Amino acid sequence: MRSLRTRVGLLLLATSMIAASGAAFAEQVTLNFLTAEKDETVAPVIAGFEKLHPDIKVVHTTVPFDSMNATIEARVGGQDSSIDVFLVDSPRVPAMANRGYLMNLNEFRDAADKVSNDVAMGVVSWKGDMYALPLWTSTQLMYYNKDLLDKAGIPYPGAKEEDRLTYDQVVDLAKKAQAAGAKFGFLPEQIDRYYQLQPLFESIGGGSGLTGPDNLTPDITNPKWIEAAEFYSSLFKDGIAPRGVPNDQMSSVFTSGDVAFYIGGPWQFRPFNAAEGLKYGVAPVPYFKGGKPVVPTDSWAVGISPYAAHPDEAKKFVEYMSINPEGALLSVANNPIPPTNEEAYKTYIDGIAALNPDVGPAAKEIMTYELAKNSVSRPRSIGYVAFEEIMNRAFSDIRNGADVTTTLQQAQDQLNSTLARIQ
Amino acid sequence: MNRRRNLYAALFFLAPAIISVIVLRLWPALVAVHYSLLAPRATSYSFENYTYIFGDPVFRNSLWITLIYSIIVNPLQIAAALGLALLMNNRLPTTGFWRTLILLPVAIPQSVSAVIWAVAFRPDGLINAVLAPFGIGPQPFLTSPDQALACIILMVSWVGVGYWMTFLIAGLQDIPKSLYEAVTIDGANRWQRFRYVTLPQLRRPLTFVLVADTVANFLVFAPVQILTKGGPQGSTNLIMNEVYTRAFLQGDRGSASAATVVLVLLVLIVVLVQFRLMNDSGEQSR
Repeated sequence: MRSLRTRVGLLLLATSMIAASGAAFAEQVTLNFLTAEKDETVAPVIAGFEKLHPDIKVVHTTVPFDSMNATIEARVGGQDSSIDVFLVDSPRVPAMANRGYLMNLNEFRDAADKVSNDVAMGVVSWKGDMYALPLWTSTQLMYYNKDLLDKAGIPYPGAKEEDRLTYDQVVDLAKKAQAAGAKFGFLPEQIDRYYQLQPLFESIGGGSGLTGPDNLTPDITNPKWIEAAEFYSSLFKDGIAPRGVPNDQMSSVFTSGDVAFYIGGPWQFRPFNAAEGLKYGVAPVPYFKGGKPVVPTDSWAVGISPYAAHPDEAKKFVEYMSINPEGALLSVANNPIPPTNEEAYKTYIDGIAALNPDVGPAAKEIMTYELAKNSVSRPRSIGYVAFEEIMNRAFSDIRNGADVTTTLQQAQDQLNSTLARIQ
Repeated sequence: MNRRRNLYAALFFLAPAIISVIVLRLWPALVAVHYSLLAPRATSYSFENYTYIFGDPVFRNSLWITLIYSIIVNPLQIAAALGLALLMNNRLPTTGFWRTLILLPVAIPQSVSAVIWAVAFRPDGLINAVLAPFGIGPQPFLTSPDQALACIILMVSWVGVGYWMTFLIAGLQDIPKSLYEAVTIDGANRWQRFRYVTLPQLRRPLTFVLVADTVANFLVFAPVQILTKGGPQGSTNLIMNEVYTRAFLQGDRGSASAATVVLVLLVLIVVLVQFRLMNDSGEQSR
């Protein structure tokens, strides 16, 4: 028995000595950075930052897009200090700030204000305080497959604002392309996601779906909402878009040459340019006749966990990504999404124009006027996270053929009870 | 003194298990009960979260779906596992090969098999392509509220049956051959041998499989999350997915905890009933 005790004592002593010597060597600070991006997307900005701060090492952790919310809820909500910096979808800032998941970043307000526009600043603030730094924004374009349009004898849609087609026109052309052999006619990149579908409801005049003083009252059963949702449902019912293809496999339907028209973000340029034999062009996103042109916008911002193990180093990193033009540009080097940093944006948009000589200039023209005039942010509300989850499910049911009015009414009832708990 | 020392030694060796049980089981359970009794913004305990979830059609639907699912999936899996175990217990030339083949899906992580099944279930996917030559038109599978739950049952059974079969084969091989010889001499036919020797002798492994399978099926999550996220129209919204949605997607910790407590109680009741039934039938057959 004695020898056992001695052995345990020795073991404990050895362990504590190893731990102590480890601490003595650990001069370099390790920052943990959580995103839903691929390693290669954030590698350039991390490399740039580490070069500037050799004493800080940034370790990137990626989770699937659909798990980002759950991961933050579990880890930051669980006061886990092993996440320092994370990307946050900007409409979620109010809900996360309200729950105490984001550190107050007011100290960066003046510096951020100088390099970002009011919209970008607005979406990272809640009740007058700033909880994240603007990073990226977004817009969408309508891509078309030139070969499929040629086959159907459809002229290429123009890139100018006045060339914008209505949704009905695009559906007619899509059916024509399908009659000429295209497998599918017209589909959105992110099925079932509010980000992608909000423009349908806003364009037709149905509103964002949330009203009231704090955007905590659902309004998704008005006639305009039902009309736009019927339109979405009909795309799948009529076989213009495929059922049963998950979000992350949607862009492969376009790259494999199976669809004539496709609405997606500028991040598709890279895979589309790389797709062998794919000839494509870009046009502005359609609108509803009698309505207004609307494109989705905003994207990830960058925030710091209030429980971060290394808040000071984390602040240096977010400042580099958002406020330093060099860092902001590196953050989009491997992912062509617009940075909110205005100086970095100038270099970025010229890069887009040079990306592919066929579509570059048209893409630059479309993105410039869409970002300036037709972008509509998602509603700002502490109930947004719950709203988005419930809406995404409702959209999925509608796409799979559920009755539109009943589905929206059920979602409205669910929102009423869920949002009442948040108020 | 010696006794005391032995006690310390025992405690020392048991400590990892005791600490694990407390930290990983009891403490989280207590935390769940604590949060389930705290309504949003409330500072004192109440049953508001429970009233809320039972008043919520989405939660009631998920309970209902879970019950239907359990009633179908458990007997189905156990019958299939028992059938296969009886088949695989024979000394046939290629039994080892078939056993491996049936057990193989267990070795694949559930998430990976779910992703593969998702591709197969696509309306333009593999399964419809296989069905087409038999004159069966394209099926909607996961996109239809009438077929999605059946697809989930098929997928989890594909994984589960082989696993539970292994336990039953072990049980079958434990049955003394002399018992079969004895009843054969008494003139028992195949069915009687199964009914009066195999089944009663298999009572212990069967009880284990029944209880463990039922619990595992109550806790099915990954396939639902990956294949359907509870849809279409809530038709596959099993209770674990509902708890996850509330806790991690909608950020409603209170109602998620209440739903968890309801789930635990439900599983406890079902398992207690199963134990009771298996014991009773065991007593009768003696």
